[in-house]
Amino acid sequence: MLVVDELKKNDPHLRLVAVMVAVGVCILLAGLWWVQVVSVHEYQQHLETQAYRSIRLPAVRGKIVDREGRVLAENRPSYNLSLFLNDMRAPFDAAYGKLHKAALIAQKDRIAAEEKRVGHSLRKAELKNFRLTTDYLDALRQQARLGVVNDIVTQVSRNIGVPIVLDPKDFNTHYAQERALPYPILRNLTASQIARFAENMTNGCGVELDMQSARNYPNGTVAAHVLGYLQHDDSSGTGEESFYNYRLPDYKGLSGIEGQFNDDLHGRAGAESVLVNNLGYRQSANVWNKSEPGHNVVLTLDMDIQKAAEDSLRTHWGAGVRGSIVVMDVRNGDILAMVSSPSYDPNQFAQGINADKYQAFKDSGAENNRATHENYAPGSIFKTVVALAALETGLDPNRTFRVDPNPRDTAKGGIFIGRRLIRDTAPPGEYKFQRAFIHSSNSYFVTNGIRAGVENIVRIGQEFHLGERTGLFARQETGGSFPTLDRVRANDWHDGDTANMCIGQGEIAVTPVQMAVMIAAIANGGTVLFPRLVQRIEPVDEDSTEPAKDLPAGLVRDRLTVHPRSLELVREAMLADVESSEGTGTKAAVPGFRICGKTGTAQVQDGANHLTGYNFWFASFAPYENPRYSVVVMVQSAGTGSGGSVCAPIAHDIYETIVQKSQLHLPAVVGEAMYDAGRQVSGGRVSH
Amino acid sequence: MYTTNYNVPKESFDKLQVVALIGLMFIGAAFVYSATMANDSAALQPWYDQAWVRQIVWYVLGLGMATFVCVVDYHTLSRWADVAYWVMILFLIAVLIPKIGTTHGWGARRWIDFGAFQFQPSEFAKLAYIAAGASFLSRPVEELKQPAIFWKGIGMMMLPFVLILKEPDLGSALVLLPTGLVMMVVAGTPRRYLLQLMACVGLLGSLFVADVLFAPARWQIPMENYQRNRLLIYFGRDYKDSAPPNATPAELQRLRQRQLDDAYNVRQALISVGSGGLFGKGWRQGTQNALGYLPRAVAHNDFIFSVIAEEEGFVGSVIVLTLYAVVLFTGLRIAGQARDRLGRLMAVGVVTLIFSHVFVNIGMNIRIMPVTGVPLPLLSYGGSSVLCSLIAVGLMQNIHIHRKGY
Repeated sequence: MLVVDELKKNDPHLRLVAVMVAVGVCILLAGLWWVQVVSVHEYQQHLETQAYRSIRLPAVRGKIVDREGRVLAENRPSYNLSLFLNDMRAPFDAAYGKLHKAALIAQKDRIAAEEKRVGHSLRKAELKNFRLTTDYLDALRQQARLGVVNDIVTQVSRNIGVPIVLDPKDFNTHYAQERALPYPILRNLTASQIARFAENMTNGCGVELDMQSARNYPNGTVAAHVLGYLQHDDSSGTGEESFYNYRLPDYKGLSGIEGQFNDDLHGRAGAESVLVNNLGYRQSANVWNKSEPGHNVVLTLDMDIQKAAEDSLRTHWGAGVRGSIVVMDVRNGDILAMVSSPSYDPNQFAQGINADKYQAFKDSGAENNRATHENYAPGSIFKTVVALAALETGLDPNRTFRVDPNPRDTAKGGIFIGRRLIRDTAPPGEYKFQRAFIHSSNSYFVTNGIRAGVENIVRIGQEFHLGERTGLFARQETGGSFPTLDRVRANDWHDGDTANMCIGQGEIAVTPVQMAVMIAAIANGGTVLFPRLVQRIEPVDEDSTEPAKDLPAGLVRDRLTVHPRSLELVREAMLADVESSEGTGTKAAVPGFRICGKTGTAQVQDGANHLTGYNFWFASFAPYENPRYSVVVMVQSAGTGSGGSVCAPIAHDIYETIVQKSQLHLPAVVGEAMYDAGRQVSGGRVSH
Repeated sequence: MYTTNYNVPKESFDKLQVVALIGLMFIGAAFVYSATMANDSAALQPWYDQAWVRQIVWYVLGLGMATFVCVVDYHTLSRWADVAYWVMILFLIAVLIPKIGTTHGWGARRWIDFGAFQFQPSEFAKLAYIAAGASFLSRPVEELKQPAIFWKGIGMMMLPFVLILKEPDLGSALVLLPTGLVMMVVAGTPRRYLLQLMACVGLLGSLFVADVLFAPARWQIPMENYQRNRLLIYFGRDYKDSAPPNATPAELQRLRQRQLDDAYNVRQALISVGSGGLFGKGWRQGTQNALGYLPRAVAHNDFIFSVIAEEEGFVGSVIVLTLYAVVLFTGLRIAGQARDRLGRLMAVGVVTLIFSHVFVNIGMNIRIMPVTGVPLPLLSYGGSSVLCSLIAVGLMQNIHIHRKGY
């Protein structure tokens, strides 16, 4: 190359300059190589930390619907009025400019006054005392921003007719830490507020509607305990990016279906990265990880039956009554209604509950699901089990049994176990099995239960899986209590304990769901089923290629080893309890629909064996010929009454709704639906 | 043969150098555009007010002046060199007078306002010094051995140096030193003088640095605060060290913040250059400048290299450096082929001046030089710088046109 040729000449001075230039260029090249190629990651990291903010975008939570697709929990858009700070930079600057100017004038005045005082113009060192410090200027900027924001908030407040209070501290914190995010000034706008805002405030003043997804339960308190509740929680789930600069509000289910199926409902959060400029204002945004919506959960509940059950309980005994209702399909274990009273409004959790309201919620006794999470003495409805044990061990249902009068109340019967008197509500007289059953004669069942042997009662109870959880909820279920064979063989187990057990008291406690399963097994011919509350988990998008996940119906847990004849005798006795004029459950009767039931009343005692109240029960199924529904009603009350008077009318209302509903539907469709539902019972199909 | 010598048109320009210059001007216009159009308010200005258009206008004007400089034999020009030198000295004095010089809102008084445009005399003074210095040093080597001549040469260099330092414009002043020194070396100043001079400059330089870094307040050379801070940052001094021993945490925090603020430009320039990586983010895709991290006021002039390096990566940096290398080495070739000592010294002076600018400017982008207001020739936005660079190049071409054998 010519350039180099020239330098080869014997010209030491020029060569020196050339070498110098070459060395200089090489130094620059090496430096650039170091900065741009070797250290590139370090500087890109710096760039990202200073220019990018990551935001966690919560996924849309899945819906919860009933078996016919009616919505129980959904998401509704919630509108907030928010200040978009990056649109407000110009007014901020203008306001600051004014304040700054005023500050400069004041500064000049102060200097002039000082000069007048000392009588000469100030020297540089003296002027230093009058300099506006950076802290002072920062305070001015803050003041300017607050002024602008306050004006806007006042204007908005006037236009939409809602008083809005701006918390300066909150705003300053937001400005300092989350400048790239909109600042909400009013949350949860009503439709009329939105309309008024849209009418008056379209001048681009930096205030805009900001939409967020909020959990909504359109039916309020209906099925609240099944749905559960959730709380605000924006933390990262497992397998999710754990660091975000900002997080948008998100929910986490705590109880009920919301809690149990949180992982399915929740979906996967996405992420957005926001490019911010050197002042921290939002410049552009880029969603680099889209959120995936959660799945819908299809329940087995039937909203008509659920509502009928809740309405009936409330109409009869008020919203504050402590009670529970379970309606189950005896053929496949599907829970059609599950009521726990008192109920609560899950919406208040979604909106964010305060400490006072939370305490009120706890105090009202609405926290636990009474259908699964609390257990109660079953009282006389347990006589169905005692009856089966007695019949299996050779009780002749037609043999008469004499109920002796109670010495203290000769109109009623009574029986001595040792020296202890067990009172009977049935009058003294001759009783065969069915009559004893519908009169719920304690004397009859205590005598025959002891005769059958407590071990046989326990064995049959164990076949019903009493004392064990049904598996409906992972955390909100109790198994109740039921003695084991070891327990009843122990030396301290006496006939008195057996007698207690025969009338459904003592060392036995059950949940309403367990009773529904028990009655269903008696109704369907001896198949003990796992109850099911969730049918299906399906993708939100109907066109999705992802298959819906079906949860198996009619899972068989156990089969009773009792003779079908014994079951039939109990079923007939239950039918008579509702249909015969002497029965205790006659108030449940619905014309044209043959209902079988058993009433029960259990005394509730406190630790000092004082009577504190009663658990009233009505456990039933229908129709008799082709059993389909089991309905268990439990009501706690301090007052007197009986299962027949307190609970049977509620069962009546529920059955009436069921009958009406089946008449509304075309019979052919009902038949088909019944056939489908029946087919799903895998191996547990019962012949009728 | 003789006839052809006169009739055949002379090989006019050094074409390689011209190609490199056009390349640089093209890059300059493109990246002044990129650096300024990212700013919304700048982009909204009428087209004729936009920086890149103005830059092109300066290129055209500069090329016109360069052509003018080319056509007149440099010997004729050099007769006016002394006049130009003293006129520039007058301007440098004038710029220091508050009513004449303007500060543009910056700390330094560097500009003279002519209404339609501002004129930065220090840029032209460097050029005038090269012309006058070359003409002074082109005397026979024997005369250079006289101490009086030597000291006169030093004086010619120091006069503008001190005046520019006074503005203050440390960077522009400092680039005069290598330019003068290299011209003296190439002129054939005896080694003895040169060694003494180097020792002297070296001593003064180290005293200066020591003063900035270590001297107690009473002993410090009077200097603008920002200048001292830039040097402190460059030498990696922690502000906390200068805090009184009983400083409260709040005061220490404030010092730390101030250090961050003072180091801001350098840090952002480094992030720009570094994040460009090998291939860059693409023209107008750089975020450092668009988001305002690289201060808007300097992105298109002093820190234009950061914009180029971020958007075009190491590859772009190498291209820019290669273009400069071509200009510099063709300049040295022109010096080697020059007809006489005057041409040779002028060409070497121009090459050293351009090289110093490039080295100081790019060096400050990657932190091997302290931050000073030295523009990158032809790439940085600014009329005075562009005109001077083009006139300087015109001078080299002039020497090339009137080289040996023609």
